[in-house]
Formats: sequence, C-alpha cells, structure tokens
Amino acid sequence: MLQLIVAGLTVGSGYALVALGLHIILRATRIINFAQGEFLIVGGLFALTFVEVLHVNVWIALLGSTACGFILGLVFERLILRPASRCSEIALTIVTIGALYILLYGHALVPLWGSSPHPLPAFSGEGADSFAFGGASIPYQSLWVFLLLALALAVMYAFFERTYFGKAIRAAANNPIGARLTGIDVTQTRAISVAISIALCAFGGTIIGPITLVGGAGGTAIAIKGFVGAIVGGFESPVGCVVGGLLVGIVEKLLEGKFEYGLADPLVYSLLLVTLLVRPQGLFASRVGVRD
Amino acid sequence: MIARLHADARAIPILLALVGVCGIVASSNATFVQAATYAGIYAIAAIGLSLLLGSVNQISLGQAAFFGIGAYAVAYLTTSANWSYWPALVVGVVLAAFFGVVIGFIALRFHGHYLAMATLAFNLICVGIFHQWKLIGGAVGINNIPFAQLGPIRIAGTPAFWFAWIAAAIVALLSLRLLRGRMGYAFEAIRNDELAAEVTGVPTRRCKIVAFTYAGALAGLSGAMYVAVIGLMAPDIPGVGLTVDLLLMVVLGGMGSVSGAIIGACFIGFLSITGHSFDNWREVAYGVVVIAVVVAAPGGLFGLIRGRARTRATDGAPAPRIESAMAPLVLHSNELPLVVSGVTKRFGGLIAVDAVSFALEYGTLTSLIGPNGAGKTTLFNAMSGIGRVNSGTIRIAGTSVTGWAPHRIARLGVGRTFQNARLFDEMTVLENVVASVLALTRVNERAANDRARETLARLGLEHLSTTYAMHLPFGERRRVELARAIAADPWLLLVDEPAAGLNARERTTLQQDLLAIRGRGVTILLIEHDMKLVMSISDRVMVLQFGKMIADGTAGAIRNDPLVAAAYLGIAS
Amino acid sequence: MLLDVRDLRAGYGQLDVLHGVSVYVDLGELVAVLGPNGAGKSTLLRAVSQLGPAVRGGSIVFDGHDLLRTSTEQGVRYGCLHVAEGRQLFSELTVDDNLRLGAYATDHKTIERDLSSVYERFPEIARRRSAVAFSLSGGEQQMLAIGRALMAKPKLLMLDEPSTGLAPQVVAKIFSIIGDLCRAGTAVLLVEQNAYLALQHADRAYVLENGATALSGCAAELSADERIKAIYLGGATGE
Repeated sequence: MLQLIVAGLTVGSGYALVALGLHIILRATRIINFAQGEFLIVGGLFALTFVEVLHVNVWIALLGSTACGFILGLVFERLILRPASRCSEIALTIVTIGALYILLYGHALVPLWGSSPHPLPAFSGEGADSFAFGGASIPYQSLWVFLLLALALAVMYAFFERTYFGKAIRAAANNPIGARLTGIDVTQTRAISVAISIALCAFGGTIIGPITLVGGAGGTAIAIKGFVGAIVGGFESPVGCVVGGLLVGIVEKLLEGKFEYGLADPLVYSLLLVTLLVRPQGLFASRVGVRD
Repeated sequence: MIARLHADARAIPILLALVGVCGIVASSNATFVQAATYAGIYAIAAIGLSLLLGSVNQISLGQAAFFGIGAYAVAYLTTSANWSYWPALVVGVVLAAFFGVVIGFIALRFHGHYLAMATLAFNLICVGIFHQWKLIGGAVGINNIPFAQLGPIRIAGTPAFWFAWIAAAIVALLSLRLLRGRMGYAFEAIRNDELAAEVTGVPTRRCKIVAFTYAGALAGLSGAMYVAVIGLMAPDIPGVGLTVDLLLMVVLGGMGSVSGAIIGACFIGFLSITGHSFDNWREVAYGVVVIAVVVAAPGGLFGLIRGRARTRATDGAPAPRIESAMAPLVLHSNELPLVVSGVTKRFGGLIAVDAVSFALEYGTLTSLIGPNGAGKTTLFNAMSGIGRVNSGTIRIAGTSVTGWAPHRIARLGVGRTFQNARLFDEMTVLENVVASVLALTRVNERAANDRARETLARLGLEHLSTTYAMHLPFGERRRVELARAIAADPWLLLVDEPAAGLNARERTTLQQDLLAIRGRGVTILLIEHDMKLVMSISDRVMVLQFGKMIADGTAGAIRNDPLVAAAYLGIAS
Repeated sequence: MLLDVRDLRAGYGQLDVLHGVSVYVDLGELVAVLGPNGAGKSTLLRAVSQLGPAVRGGSIVFDGHDLLRTSTEQGVRYGCLHVAEGRQLFSELTVDDNLRLGAYATDHKTIERDLSSVYERFPEIARRRSAVAFSLSGGEQQMLAIGRALMAKPKLLMLDEPSTGLAPQVVAKIFSIIGDLCRAGTAVLLVEQNAYLALQHADRAYVLENGATALSGCAAELSADERIKAIYLGGATGE
C-alpha cells in the first residue's frame, strides 16, 4: 500500500507540474494546451542531452533543461499561440493538437533522442537504489522528486505571490484590460506565463526521468492525466491543480495494484468524466472564482 | 438552399466522379486501391465530424470511439455470433448512433475545451473497455472476420474500393440533403449565433443532439465497413490517434463542408501511402500544416479551392416599401399579450430587476426606458427565456412561460431583437429571415422563401436579399434583424435599443417601421434611449431605475415627472 | 493644452459612434462630458486610451504626444490614466497589490510614499488594504480604481461614470474627492450621466448627442441651459 502511494506520488508529481502548467497557460491565454505533456517529455530529453553530450552532472542538466524549457516556451508562444490567439476555441484546441504532433514526432527525429525511452541517471547513487521504510522499498529518487517538487512549488509561490512582476502577471491574467490601463504589457506577460509553464514541465520531466525514463510516446497520456488532475482539483485553482495531479498519480497506482494493469487508465478517465459532470469547477475551487 | 452550400453541392459530384475515374484507371495498382478504399471509409466518419464541427460548432475528440463501437459490433456478430454481414452492419450503426445520443446529451453541459476533454475521456474509456473485455477478444482483438458478401461478389480488393466509395457517395449526398433543408438552416443558424438561433425559434439543444447522433452513426458505419475490409479488429485501432486523424481530415479539408471532408480524407489517405519511409517527418508535417491551415486558411483546402464567398452580391436601388401588404393580424386569444408579475432577478448580490409588475394591452407600443444598468435588458431576457428569474411569473397570452426555453417562447409568437443586432453573419439577408420562418412555422422551404421575401419587401429591404449579413452597414443590420423577428408574424415584439447607432434618416425609417408593425395589431415593447423617438411613438412609457419601476404613464406625463428627470439628469441644485 | 482631441471620428466594426467630436482639457481643469446613453461618451475615452474603438479620422494629442500612434500602455507612461467603465480592478488581488501595480508604468522609487498618500486620501480602503478587491463594496471599488490610477502620477485622469451603481452619499463623496484632486493639480476629464451633479463640480462641459457635440461651454452657464433637459428627456431642442 505505502509502496503504491509513494510510486503514485512520484508519477503524480509529473502530473501535478503538467496540471499547474496547464493552469498557468489557461489563466494567461484562455487556451488549454493539449501539447503540455510533450513538453515534459522534451524536457527530460533536454536533460539527457546535457548529461550524454555535454557530460555535465545531473544538477546542471536540471537547470539547463529548465532554462531550455523556458526558451522553448517563448518560441511556442510567439510562433504558435500568438498567431492563433484570434481563432475560436475549437480552432485553438486543434492548433495545440498540431503542436503536439510536431513535438511528439519531431523529437523522434533528433539523432540522440529517437522514439524509444532512455534512462536518465538518478540524482544520487544508482537509479535503482532504495531504502526500506514501513515494509515498503522506496527509491531515493522518489525523495528527490518530492523535495524538488516542493522546491518548484515554493519558487512558484514566491514568484507569483511575493514579487512585483509575478503579481503583474497574475493581474494581467485576472483582468487584461485593467492591466493595460495600468501600463502592464499584457503581450509580454502572456509570453512569460507560457514560458514559465513550459519550464515547469521541463523541470518535471527531468526530476521524474530517472524513474519513468525519458523520451518515447508517453506525452499524450501524461497530458491527459494532467488534465484529469487539473479538472479534478479545479482548473482555476493552482493548489487544486497540484493536489489533483498528485491524487491522479496515487489513484492510478492503487488501481494498477488492485486490478489488472490495463484497467487503471480507463478508470482514471472515468474519474474525469464523472468530475466534469458532477462538479465541473473541481474539488478544490469554489464556484465564486470561476468565470464564464 | 443556403448559399454557402452551393459550392459544396457543385463540388461533390465532381469529386466523386474524379474518384470513380481514378478507381477505373488505377484498378490494377493494388496499393492505390487499398489506400483509396480506406480514404473512402474514413471520408464517411469525416463527413459526420465535419457537420458536427463546422455546422453546429461542437468539437468531439471521441469520434474514434464510435468507429470502434461500430467495428466491434460487426466483428463480434460476424465471428462469434455467426451473423451475416449486413444485419451486423445495421446493429453496429444503430449502436454507435445510440452512444451518439448519450454523448449528445452530455455535450449539452459543456462548451469548447471542456467538451473536447469530455469526449476525449469517452474515447479513452472506450479504448480501455475494448482492451479489457474478454468477450470481444481483450487486448488481442478479433481476427478472421469474414469478408462481406454481396450476392456473388466478395467485397475485397477492387470491389471493396467500390463498396467504400458508393457508401461514401450515398452518405455525402444524404448529408447534403440534410444540410439543404430545415435542419440545415437550423444548423447554420446555430453555427453563426447560438443564442440568436434559439430566440428565433431553433431548438438548439435538440439540433446538437441530432448532430452528435448523426456523426456517431457515420463513425460507426465507417468502423463497421473498416473491419469487413481489413478482416481484423484490435483495441488500439479506434484510439486517440484515429480521432486526431479524423480531426485533421476535417480541418485540412474545411470544417462544415461535405466536400472538404472528402478532400481531407483523400489527402491523408494518400499521404499514408507515399509517406511510409518518412513516418515521423510526415507527422511533423501534419502538425505544421494543421496549425498553418487553422491560422491562415480557416476554410481549409476546400475553402481555398472555392475561393472567398461572394462579398457583396447586388447593390441595386432600394425598392419602395410595400405598405399595403400588411394585413391586420388575427388575434387568437382574449388574454392579455403579456403579464409580468413580481419578477425579480439577482446576479450574485446585485438585484438587477426588483419585483417588477406590468401588463400590456393588444396593439399598443410601450417603451421601457431608464439609465444604464437599470435592468431593462435583463427584464427582456427574462421575458424571452434567457436565464431564470429568481421569483415572479411571466404570462404570455395567458400561458405561464416560467422556465421555458427561448425557442418555445418564440414559437408562442414572440419576436425579439438584440441591442447589438445579432444576425447570422455568414448567411445572406434572405437566409437569415428564412431560417427563422422555417424554425417557427411548419411551412416548406419554398413557402418560407416567399414569406421571407415578402417581409423584406415590406421593409424595403428586398434589394439586400443576397448580401451576406456581415457585409451590411449597421443601420441595415438592425432593420434586417427586425425583419427576421416579424417574418413569422409574432403578436408580441420585444425590440432592444433599435435606434442606437442609426443616423437621423434611419431613425425616421425605423419609426415608420415600428408604427406600421403596430398598425397590424402587433403588441410592441421597446427599450430605447432616444427620447425623441420614444416620446413621439409610444402609447405608454415605463421607467426603470435600479431594477425598480419608478414611473409608468403617457409620454407627456413621463416627460414632466420630477422623479424621471432626477433619474436621468441628477438633482438640480 | 494637455489633451487635444480634434474632429474625432470613431466606432466599432461597421458602427460609427463618434462623428467628429472635438474636446480639449487644459492643465488643472475639470472638464465634464455629458449626454444621454449611447451618445458616445465612453467611446471618446476609449479612443483616447486606444482601448478598442477604431479611429477613422481626426487627431488625439496628449502633452505633445500623438496618442493615435501609441499603445494603451504608452499612454499610461505619458500620464494619461483612464478609470474605465466597470472599474477594471484586479479582483483576485488585494487592495494593496492593486495599488502597488498602479505604479507599474512609473519608476518605483516613490512607491511607498505614493501608497501612503493614497491611503491618506482614501481612509476607507486603507482599512481594507489586505482584503481581496472582489470583496469591496461598490464605493470602495471606485475609490480603489481612482487610487490605482493616482499611483501612476497622472497628469490627466479620465473617469468613466464614477457614480454608476453607487448610493447618493457615496457619489457625493467620490465627487468631492475628484474636486480635491483637481485642485491639487491633476486635470480631470469626467464622463457622467448625472448631468447636474457633474456640472456642479466641473469648470467646463461638453454635451454629446448621437456622437456629436450638441452643446459646450462653462459649467455655470450650461447648468442653467434648458436645452440640456430637452436633450436628455426628448423635448424640442430649439432647433
């Protein structure tokens, strides 16, 4: 049981960061980015490149991949989201699916990356190292994942709640017209929001990489579970998104432990459908903050 | 027929003939025949999705699931249950259509992104079930599905090509027929403006369910044909990948058009034979092309071929108004046309309309005035069924309409216009009016056309019939909206700020129009800020402030009411 | 001249709202723009702050800068602040954050001093500085909106119907604050439906009707002019 929960929290950390990234992009641009999961995969591959090609240690690779994610986010916003911003909601959904295709099949074209997953070195010791705790064997990497997730969330919190520019980004998402009337450049804050969101995904892909492997075609499934997390927790609430993502991870692993392997996923998706029907604002968001 | 479909109607036979010729010429090329067969099969599902996306503006990321349902039904029945192919096909289509109804009902609760997500979840759940369900082969699927047999012909190879494309042709023509009639007008109206469609009498919820059912049935048919041709079914075939492929076909070809779906299916079908050695490059190119098409050419390939819609058809001289054509309206009821009692509407803590009561007499013109934010439009919305009131009742000709959908109220004989003139922009002026007549009456399309022309003539708008609404100057938009509201002979007309944005000459025309409509016995309730207009044509003026009725009387009495002066001008010191 | 709008023609899409309106504001003046609903008052302000309407002709010059060639954000940096319809607050942020972000376009050296002077001017919102803007009453929200604009050290404050939806005592308070601001040297361009109230406080006024200037002049003269009542209530305008 404990073993499953730890495993769930580990993959759930990835979902949580995808969900948080989806939330940030949705708030800033009103777009739901179906390609979000691919950025997690590509982030892991950035880290792989740093380790394999530049032979740097894994911590520098983590920083490097996050930075690359940020830049990729700026490019994504400028080349794809901004030109499409005047389209209808349906068209926007389709545009992000187009981006998903480019990333999913594009990364397989890069010589080192290919289409099959690669191992990424663990942050300490050997990848499989683990310790016994309460009858379960827990990989050290899981501890790193929790620690780094907490760190990322703390940085996000500090940035958006404590810094002037972070507040300006929230203000621009909250009321773009009001933001322009106070002199905030909303185009710029939107671009930065998207970049932060993608950087978070790259970070997430790198920290869970040693456990889940990096690369491959799993991005869509991760994106969808990120959605499930965001919807279950509440798309309009950042805390809800993170908690929802972790919850999905736990539920998934528990179901996998209880039922046959293949039954877990459809049950997780049913969770999405049921939440959408019963409580569309999510478990942790109040009705009041929800617009439309 | 809707003008947008003319090009579609012309293109379909050409496309089908082209496919037929290719089929005859290249019948010895097995690779071509196979790819073209699948293109035809996918075209069927794509046509359904195209109507859903383009005609009623509903996204579905679950079309592959319907495909899977149709396919598995046939696969199971023709193997384990030993049915012959054709009844199994019917069962597959019906089953898929049934799930279409279910998803249609679910879809009514969602919009845009959330609908995309909900249908995606449906797709994934179905794939999961296909994987797990031992009866239909679980993860392995079903093999050795017999080829379909039509008399002496075994449907495989070249016969399969003809089977696929004859079915696709039938579906294409059937879909075109659907779009040409009453349903097509309703779909087109929904696509342009859902709220305006509802208020002009279109049952938008029912139409959406119909569209989902139709799209589901076609995807099911596509799946049911697919298994018979390929001979096997596996749980991953109807996965998200197929859903996305169908979506790409529709977007590339052009959403909302039947020909576009066929073009898209052929395009992607042929990419799949030429691109085998460049798998990943091909998919990346898909991604790029899809983004480019959505951003740069929202009409897709078909849109590019067809060229831009005729911009401004005729600009003939305005015809004289035909005053005498206005026969007086026969009253059906001796109840008052409108009785509002104690209606209250709150938005959060704000009371927008506060216990308002009034009744209107037949054939009168009453104006509702008041400062911005006084609750006038909110009251109008309550009367036309948009949003629920918190308390109070509204009776129209003796019938309580509390909780009614707008299209039912419209069908009682209530016409309405909006502050910002909500026309169906991508339809012509005539089509705007015809759509409403078809939605509100039982007359056929020809009669509806006559009626619409007559109404336009009455308002002197006939010369604009073939102009697209989006190309109309603002003043004309308002008058066309008025024509749309009165075309089906309502006896209660709610008009929201018709004079805003009109110049002096247009205001005079509007005044004549309103008086002529009242002259027929239509009861009119008017929201207006132009006091000259209000004071000169109203039989009665009601004043709303902060949601409360503060004055009610003749124009002269209202003008000299100190309370009204204070509401409008503030208190003089 | 601080703001000089000449022969402005503007509208939305195919709708023309303003058919050649000229308005100017001098340093330190309080100018009111009056007129019935739909006359084009708000469109005038939105055109000045480049917030939506398409300008089809005429010119808008603020403090020597051609505003038609700049963005909304740049106008804010020049010192032209618009407190728009609906107040446009950051509803999910605190009062304090709303005010601090008001200084976004300026250098932040004096932000603490400016903040305390705004709180001094509006003790009502000083008491609620850590409350979320969403939870404020209508009057408090209006004060916060004005306060946020003041944080940018405006040369001109454009106010769009500050009295909307407020109780009479609150309206009186808002207007006395506007008067104070003006005496302290900030020019004000005030759009208001409540004509007599605005005329009590203004130096000069314009009355718009159907997108054109129907009357203009000094406030004292206009408040005695019967034609205003006719424009609002639809009597004969003496044409």
